[in-house]
Amino acid sequence: MKTQVEEINRNIYDIKNKDEYDFKIKKGITKEIIEEISDQKNDPEWMREFRLKALEVYNQLEMPTWGPDLSELNMDEIATYVRPKTKLNTSWEDVPEDIKNTFDKLGIPEAEKKSLAGVGAQYDSEVVYHSMKEDLIKQGVIYTDMETAIREYPELVKKHFMKCVPVTDHKFVALHGAVWSGGSFVYVPKGVKVEIPLQSYFRLNSPESGQFEHTLIIVEKGASLHFIEGCSAPKYNKVNLHAGCVELYVKDGAYLRYSTIENWSKNMLNLNTKKAIVGKNAQMDWVSGSFGSKISMLYPMSILNGEGAKTEYTGISFAGKGQNLDTGFKVVHNAPNTSSVVNSKSISKNGGKCTYRSLVRIKENAKNSKSSVSCESLMLDDFSISDTIPVNDIQTDEVEFSHEAKIGKISDKAIFYLMSRGLSEEDAKAMIVRGFAEPIAKELPVEYAVEMNNLINLELEGAIG
Amino acid sequence: MEKLKLNETPVRTSRNYNMNNIKLENIEIPAKIPSFNNVQITGNNSKVSIDSQTSKINLKYGLNKKLLEQLDLYANQKLKLTIDNKTNKETIINFKLDEKEPILLDNIEINANEQTNATVIIKYETTKNVKAFHNAVIRTNAKKDANINIILINLVNLSTDNFISIQNNFEENSRINYTIVDFGGKSSVTNYYSNLVGDNSDNQMNVVYLGRENQLFDLNYIGELRGKKTNFNMEVQGVLRDTAKKHFKGTIDFKKGCKRAKGNENEVCMLLSDTAKSLALPMLLCSEEDVEGNHSTATGKMGEKELFYIMSRGFEYKEAMKLMVRARFNEILDNIKNGEIKNEILQEIDSKLD
Repeated sequence: MKTQVEEINRNIYDIKNKDEYDFKIKKGITKEIIEEISDQKNDPEWMREFRLKALEVYNQLEMPTWGPDLSELNMDEIATYVRPKTKLNTSWEDVPEDIKNTFDKLGIPEAEKKSLAGVGAQYDSEVVYHSMKEDLIKQGVIYTDMETAIREYPELVKKHFMKCVPVTDHKFVALHGAVWSGGSFVYVPKGVKVEIPLQSYFRLNSPESGQFEHTLIIVEKGASLHFIEGCSAPKYNKVNLHAGCVELYVKDGAYLRYSTIENWSKNMLNLNTKKAIVGKNAQMDWVSGSFGSKISMLYPMSILNGEGAKTEYTGISFAGKGQNLDTGFKVVHNAPNTSSVVNSKSISKNGGKCTYRSLVRIKENAKNSKSSVSCESLMLDDFSISDTIPVNDIQTDEVEFSHEAKIGKISDKAIFYLMSRGLSEEDAKAMIVRGFAEPIAKELPVEYAVEMNNLINLELEGAIG
Repeated sequence: MEKLKLNETPVRTSRNYNMNNIKLENIEIPAKIPSFNNVQITGNNSKVSIDSQTSKINLKYGLNKKLLEQLDLYANQKLKLTIDNKTNKETIINFKLDEKEPILLDNIEINANEQTNATVIIKYETTKNVKAFHNAVIRTNAKKDANINIILINLVNLSTDNFISIQNNFEENSRINYTIVDFGGKSSVTNYYSNLVGDNSDNQMNVVYLGRENQLFDLNYIGELRGKKTNFNMEVQGVLRDTAKKHFKGTIDFKKGCKRAKGNENEVCMLLSDTAKSLALPMLLCSEEDVEGNHSTATGKMGEKELFYIMSRGFEYKEAMKLMVRARFNEILDNIKNGEIKNEILQEIDSKLD
């Protein structure tokens, strides 16, 4: 008797539009290509120089010697910049029909009407739509694409751009620094509470290309924000690359919740970097669902720099056939009285591989800090793989640190118990898997929670015994 | 003086975390290996035969190629123990490094035949001020239904580099209880690997470590579960004071086919100073569905409530601290049935906490 959990229904996500573009840079990564991107984007001089320096770092750094095998990634086969056939629009009516249809099917305009304070939509390398509710504009909230931000708020951007995530962090951050395009810029002024979430959606349509959007969010003292990020792409036979970068500045007393649902197609290498610097008594919460991509290497990071700073990470990964999802969380406690809570779950099935990889570092100055890590992995068959690779680096004695992890299959005892209460075996297993994912699902925005429950749709076959 | 890179983890992670291996600088690896005779073998086990015909060293992991080659070629103590008795008897091997014989390269091979039962205690110590070098390999083969207790005690001084590679092979229904008391060494680096191939085989691994001054412990413990219904249980209790540092790398690896296997790993580190450092990488690797795997690690200082309680009963801080450390180690030290040796370890704990 085997529990069959269906793969994510990708019908919507796999809709391909014709590969039409206004401009597509030639494949590869050279100085000339970077200069061409800079010309096409009409970069200010500082950004052009920044890109070229990042390219130098990229050329110096090695590929990771750990984690999933990235040997199929050939940068000579990737076009790093694809400009769609439209400009930035503030009305959906002005977005070209085929692009608009894609976002319609993904439910973005509908969600904007119902439950969002602002929406950004990126198609390939450029943002094609951006809007925000009027009252937030009046309160001084800025929500725009990165290119506009560079033009209109140059000092603010220059002060923060790739300071939280320096290009020397790793090879794909350096690549990002050289070829980045698109993404969102959010600035929430001091004391402003943005009650309804903002959402950016990233769609990569063009085959053999990369998406390198840059998200920069600054939440000033005492302000709060919930930001949602969604990603998808149709499936092609050749490798696509996503190497985005998210930089979050959560100032003293501020609150930021960053929710992500990654549902990339299964030819995507998702090598994304996300980091937050958290100030005094501020809180940074991450909610992360990784469902798509062929390979993911994704480890959001909180640096708790201010006394009393807090962070929580709630994540779930679901790896099916041919997927290798190497995800987790990193936190550095760099001030007294800081705290972190990590709750991670993973489900592996049909030959998929889930790895939870993490770092908890409590530095010498982080007296009276607390950290609690819990990760659970569920194996749904005997040819999938699930690994847990956490590093815990404790540099002072005035701490409370605990880490626990579990791995296993659906408990026979739990199934027996539920069946003794009148449930069929199928229903019992379905209930257990949903229960396993429940602590994460309840943290997701409601439409994503529904989607996740749909995809954990149990189908049982075979006979008992 | 040499720079050594050793003790690679079975799976790599980001090198920024400094956990994939350990790099030691200024290690004096002796070029010439003089003889070593300061070993005493005692006990009541008449059915253990001992000779020096050890087999070629061929470890899956081990600390480092160079150290293993050195042992293969130049070991100055080779001991092959063949166990034949059915009732549990004890053999004690006591190595003492001193000014005359400060270099020990010991190659120990323990072969426990079918249905045998025995305890082997291996103890390493040094005279107080000698600057010694110790490199060891200890291999244990537990045949079908064998039941072996191995107690490894490291009490070398803080001027000595201590390197130990361990490999255990398990046949069907065999069981090894491995207890390690790791107190000594300027650098104490241990690589422990259990290969649980036989169905129903069982490895209970219990470790206590106590670090002080500038001591560095690099502990890389690996259990691979291959047979059906195999069981690997790792319990590690440690205390660090002063500027001591510990890297704990524990891996439970459920290999495909190890149906109904169980693996548990628990590491608890008590820090007695704000300059002691604890790094831990407790890994669970799983390629089999029908298993149960758990790991947990915890790090923190002594419980203030417990300390307060003991002190309110008239104990001074230092005595209270010793009591708490003893209490933490006690469950593991209870595996040592030899009262004399257990007492020696308890005294060692007290003296290290003074």
